[in-house]
Amino acid sequence: MAIGAERYGSRADTVVFVACLVVALVTLALPEALRAPLAGSLRRSVLLPAVTVQSRVAASRAQRQNVLALRAERDSLALASADVPVLRAENGELRALLHLQGRLLTGFVTAEVLHQAGLGDGLTLLLSAGRTEGVRPLAPVVSPGGLVGMVTTVDRHTAVVMAWSHPDFRASAMTEGGRIFGIVASRRGERAGEVMELRGVPYRDRLPAGTLVVTSGLGGVFPRGIPLGTVEGELSESEGWERTYLVRPAAHPAAVGHVLVLTVGLVRDSLAAAYRPSPQRADTTPAPAATP
Amino acid sequence: MKLAAPRLRLWAALAVLLAAQVVVRPLLVPSPFAPDFVMVALLFLAMRSRPGAGAAAGFLVGLLSDAVAPTAFGAGAFALTVIGYLAGWLKAVVFADNLLVTAVFVFAATWLRDLLELAASGDLRAGGLGTQLLLLSPAGAIGTAAAAVLALLLFRGWLRSAPAL
Repeated sequence: MAIGAERYGSRADTVVFVACLVVALVTLALPEALRAPLAGSLRRSVLLPAVTVQSRVAASRAQRQNVLALRAERDSLALASADVPVLRAENGELRALLHLQGRLLTGFVTAEVLHQAGLGDGLTLLLSAGRTEGVRPLAPVVSPGGLVGMVTTVDRHTAVVMAWSHPDFRASAMTEGGRIFGIVASRRGERAGEVMELRGVPYRDRLPAGTLVVTSGLGGVFPRGIPLGTVEGELSESEGWERTYLVRPAAHPAAVGHVLVLTVGLVRDSLAAAYRPSPQRADTTPAPAATP
Repeated sequence: MKLAAPRLRLWAALAVLLAAQVVVRPLLVPSPFAPDFVMVALLFLAMRSRPGAGAAAGFLVGLLSDAVAPTAFGAGAFALTVIGYLAGWLKAVVFADNLLVTAVFVFAATWLRDLLELAASGDLRAGGLGTQLLLLSPAGAIGTAAAAVLALLLFRGWLRSAPAL
């Protein structure tokens, strides 16, 4: 279809273009407190049918997963959890000796990740579960591999997650066993979004490659012990008396299709409750509140 | 009445592409080649409209895209406003029904969208730019261009005589 010169833009076209451009830039400059409700209102109104259909497609895709692969995963989990009852009993006895109550427990909500086109996907993720399913702001989001991110905005049936690859994301971290602590953030370098940095490691401590880094539980957002990644090597020593390490992430947000959103399982759970002396042995049986 | 039928066919083709975005695309993710059907629909619409209409359509599509991936809310609206306007303007010099031209045009527009979005969100200063613009964006643009060619083959009759808005 060859189109003639009459198709060139008129003054009205230019005015519309400039107006749209200005409004887009104003939107971009809005504070987060205004942008989040605006985006939320669009998701709850115009985009609701599209998000609903996409949720169902993603769920049906998950249901069509290879049965053999699922069976292999189940067998591996069964093998890995064979020692759990013994460890749980031992842990209960030790906690009783120390007059500690049961561990802080968390339930979870399952959700599909609704991947979108464009560059924002992978930094923020849209989930197919929201307030109705029990998702709350600041809830940690994990995949079978490790930490994916943290819920920032919750709508009725969807939630927005800030993935660890987001420039603003930080998590308090430690090496497995709790010997060395630091702060994990995404690496905005030559491989942005693909790797993490472990910052603030004391200069006197060295981490060998392959060391597992997990969440420390400090800060009260992420429970202790969620895998973040493994140390690849030292990155820099130039920031005073601390070291920075490159960490290979345990979970890639852009490749995750199914996640667990952690929720508080028991209302009585709090740090104060955990350390209150208990006259009798605590019940340490986890009771995850699974919501399909 | 004569005008209404081609216009309806154009909108039907666009509706199929929008439906593909929520039905077909989730099955292809997380492949980097997963096509952006909404981008194809926007370009098809803009290439058959006046530049102002293309810009307005781009703005609306971008704003809705930003709402479901709100990393930098407004960056997508900015990028697609420019793309929509340019697509409406460039149709004066391209042949919208030519498969090769369409493929190159969609590839370039998708890559430019990523570049503009990066610039608008301030990420041009951050690292990883080379990987994004030389590896990931071209991969997505190839998938989107392939989807555009396929759509053009499927809906050629519907799109050929479609009038501008």
